[in-house]
Amino acid sequence: MEQIMEQMPIVIHSLNIGFIQTLKLFFVTLIGAFPLGLIMSFGSTSRFKPLSWFIKLLIWIIRGTPLMIQLLIIYYFPGLVLHNPIWGGGESGRFLAASVSFILNYSCYFSEIYRGGIQGVPVGQEEAGLVLGMTKTQIFFKIKLLQVIKRIVPPMSNEIITLVKDTSLARIIALQEIIWAGQAFMKGSQGISGAIWPLFFTAVYYLIFNGILTILLGTLEKKLDYFR
Amino acid sequence: MKKLIAMLLTSSMIFSMTATAFASSDESDAAYVKEKGTLVVGITDFAPMDYKEEGSEDWVGFDADMAVAFAESLGVEVEFVEIDWDNKILELEGKTIDCVWNGMTLTDEVTSSMECSNAYCNNAQVVVVPEDKADQYQDVDSLADLNFAVEAGSAGEAEISNLGLNYTAVKAQSDALMEVSAGTSDAAVIDLLMAAAMIGEGTGYENLTHTVELNSEEYGVGFRKGSDLAEALNEFFAASYEDGSMTECAEKYGVQDAVIEQK
Repeated sequence: MEQIMEQMPIVIHSLNIGFIQTLKLFFVTLIGAFPLGLIMSFGSTSRFKPLSWFIKLLIWIIRGTPLMIQLLIIYYFPGLVLHNPIWGGGESGRFLAASVSFILNYSCYFSEIYRGGIQGVPVGQEEAGLVLGMTKTQIFFKIKLLQVIKRIVPPMSNEIITLVKDTSLARIIALQEIIWAGQAFMKGSQGISGAIWPLFFTAVYYLIFNGILTILLGTLEKKLDYFR
Repeated sequence: MKKLIAMLLTSSMIFSMTATAFASSDESDAAYVKEKGTLVVGITDFAPMDYKEEGSEDWVGFDADMAVAFAESLGVEVEFVEIDWDNKILELEGKTIDCVWNGMTLTDEVTSSMECSNAYCNNAQVVVVPEDKADQYQDVDSLADLNFAVEAGSAGEAEISNLGLNYTAVKAQSDALMEVSAGTSDAAVIDLLMAAAMIGEGTGYENLTHTVELNSEEYGVGFRKGSDLAEALNEFFAASYEDGSMTECAEKYGVQDAVIEQK
């Protein structure tokens, strides 16, 4: 116990740095995947068949393979197959490759949630809009969108909370997020070696952050309650 | 459904064609590194080879300093990247790093999958005992009645259990040293390089010394398969051994006894 107290400041400092990477990846993924997912949901419901087939094929591939493999492919394939390592070996390149993988992956899940939300709005509302002489765009933004947002908050919350934990997969391409930072103390780092507790301690960070998110998303859900 | 299968087949064909079309590259690896201007060195946190001093962001250590000097001789910048050690070959072949330089033991597995430099450092599992008792324990047979402290899962533990000796598994090599120093164990088995850096004069364990070497292994630097940088490094090693700069660097990190003569 005394030893843990001695190690605590060094470990916490290192875990904080790792958790900042985790948070960066989390927010970048959300910022990228929210709009891209919406665009993909338009694509997959498009009446232009080749486009909707392409999007559906993409969703099938991305949802049908592990994110860990996608990270490996996106990061290593340019160098391995095309002999042109576009990402570079540095930390920023790893982060960029991880961001692209996560945005692509989460867009696919988000797009299906959006699609469910959009198709869940009764068709009568669109018909009513058309009768009133509104364009399709006007109908989408003025009538449907807010209802869609309300409907998708619960399933989105689920995905967002999963995303926080999924960021740990990025360690496979040596992105130094919090689990990497915790694990480093097992084999030795900064004069501490053989310490197992930092790895388990990382769970506290996830738990607290997800607690905050749960409260925020719950508040959002309540605010959107006025439709009932 | 037929269309879908046809589409899948075509895309996989296109993919494999591009794969083969781009698979050959004639450019020499040294030229490639010089062109991009950085030598990316894959490492892990491993004192005294590659590590950070407390409160510093710079990588130091025997390997790190030599890598900086080697990059300088090529006229390029050096960039250290911490990698997942299990993915080192993937990183090399994917060109996300240019070499692994991190006290890597030259095993058959390593030499068959990478282009390796000459061995530059000896490592061994050594027996550590208090200095005043060192005379009694100069060969393997004399170790029979000792109680050892070894790091759990280490090469040292493997050696000791092969010999059928009594031992206690502790968390880290440094804990094993503490056991000997405190007298709770008679002896410890740790890496030679670590022993060189952590025990003896001018360290925290002045009353300890190392005696018997249980096995020996050699460290080398790994490059991409077929890379001409391995040869360039061999020449660099020979030159810096010749002019004494390699030994000087080794002395800084206490590993001078382990350095192998470079020709």
